[in-house]
Amino acid sequence: MIQIQHLSFGYNKKKLLYKDLTLTLQSGSIYGLLGKNGAGKSTLLKNLVGLLFPKGGSIEVNGFDPRKRQPSFLETIYLIPEEVYVPALTINGYQRLFSPFYPGFDSAKFTSYLEQLDVKDEGKLNTLSFGQQKKFIIAFALACNTKVLLLDEPTNGLDIPSKMRFRKLISGIFTEDRMIFISTHQIRDLDNLIDRVIIVDEGELLLHASVGMIAEKLCFKTVNEIRDPADILYKEESLRGISVVIENKHGEESKVNLEHLFNAVTENPEKAKAIFQTRKNS
Amino acid sequence: MNNTFNARRFGFLFRKTLLERPVQIFGLTGLILTIILMIYFICKVFFGFGPAQNISFIWGLAGGGCFLGSFMFSYFNSNASGSSYLTLPASVFEKWLSAILIAGILYPLLFLLFFRAMDAGFVALYHRGLDATSPLYKIRYDQVYLFSYTGQIAQKVYLIFFMFTGAALTGSLYFNKNNFIKTALVFCVVCVLAFGLNWLMAVMVFGEVRDAAPFHYVEVTVGTGEGEINLPQSAFDIYGIFGDYFFPVLLWSIPFIRLREKEF
Repeated sequence: MIQIQHLSFGYNKKKLLYKDLTLTLQSGSIYGLLGKNGAGKSTLLKNLVGLLFPKGGSIEVNGFDPRKRQPSFLETIYLIPEEVYVPALTINGYQRLFSPFYPGFDSAKFTSYLEQLDVKDEGKLNTLSFGQQKKFIIAFALACNTKVLLLDEPTNGLDIPSKMRFRKLISGIFTEDRMIFISTHQIRDLDNLIDRVIIVDEGELLLHASVGMIAEKLCFKTVNEIRDPADILYKEESLRGISVVIENKHGEESKVNLEHLFNAVTENPEKAKAIFQTRKNS
Repeated sequence: MNNTFNARRFGFLFRKTLLERPVQIFGLTGLILTIILMIYFICKVFFGFGPAQNISFIWGLAGGGCFLGSFMFSYFNSNASGSSYLTLPASVFEKWLSAILIAGILYPLLFLLFFRAMDAGFVALYHRGLDATSPLYKIRYDQVYLFSYTGQIAQKVYLIFFMFTGAALTGSLYFNKNNFIKTALVFCVVCVLAFGLNWLMAVMVFGEVRDAAPFHYVEVTVGTGEGEINLPQSAFDIYGIFGDYFFPVLLWSIPFIRLREKEF
């Protein structure tokens, strides 16, 4: 479990990126952290893993204080950054040097993940393409079997088949005692993958809800004309009509469109917060 | 689980540190030793054995150690490698110790062994090349001898090594990119400031100053005469404790504190 209490963080003392953010994240969920460029998604992940320290408030990850960077904490969490690092080693060499640090590392699963992601043993890792390097690190991170897995823009640099394989793999490895936290601005890549959505903008928590709750509170549909513009949180004209996001007052069933949800929430933050009753203490 | 030190985990870390970047660590060490061999040989040809031994010992131990030290924490020149290093499940103490062991113990040991072998080889070649029947044989034989590891020069070089390598290790955790150059610049600025301020103060106190070294002496001109004012022995002893022990220990300890507090 991750508990963020009144977190304040900023690279500049005068301009804080997060102010008084409180958030509780439970194991057994795949979280999607959505935000615009520069909204502070990577910063939040870095705070969770102990690469950055809160300026105020506290963070607790499975009972550990991340800023201490204790080995017993670090072997339970793995961060895949947007830009990955691979040294001039072969796959076997990397596994031999890095896997002993992770007690839960499963060599057979690692081989299987590499196969599933179509990563071939073709010499030194640093000579592979960026996409291949990223897939290698994803396979390694998953094989480490850490309780918390943080992925920062994991699909950046992956081709379309790889994105599909990635989604399949993440849903395949998910267990109730794990927490997967995916930060991205490529919202479509998370479709059918995440079960809880967190949206942050300008250091503020705009939404923290399960996909089920979102479907209950909002309605995503395409209409020919808009009757009551006041109800609209977001609209987008398409060939089939006008795609809208409105408050679900009549219990209609609809499929959550993450991209439209993101636009609806970031364009109408107050309205969204009122619908979802998002408080500072969420 | 021991979050400060675990021998097994430290073993994994040490192996990883050495083998993850073999070109940087082994390649650099090999390059330094090769350059030292060349410096020794060239200096021996042009200036003789004494300067060759001194120059190659200074550059090999202090220069090489300092250069290698700047690579120990050079993970921070990219976001990816810096994050990977800091989030690797090993303690700060183990990471610090691993760097200290390589730059502060293994490299000097390897260098001292190499230098002794190289020096012994050149000295033996010289001795073998002498004409044993010559009346000057004994004098010429005694003119060239092995560099002493316990001599005054060696002791000064050990101190320089500890200061420079400690500064390089510290600098590599403060400057993420081009840390060696930036640390060297800071070091130069500190030296210039120390000498400059010392000179300024000496001029203000004594008037005409010919030469001055911080915490050491001031040479002054009085009328037509010249004189040297030395730091009193008791003050010089205090300075000696700071210079010989306090500053080197400080420079080797700061990386531990900095690594613990480093955000990236």
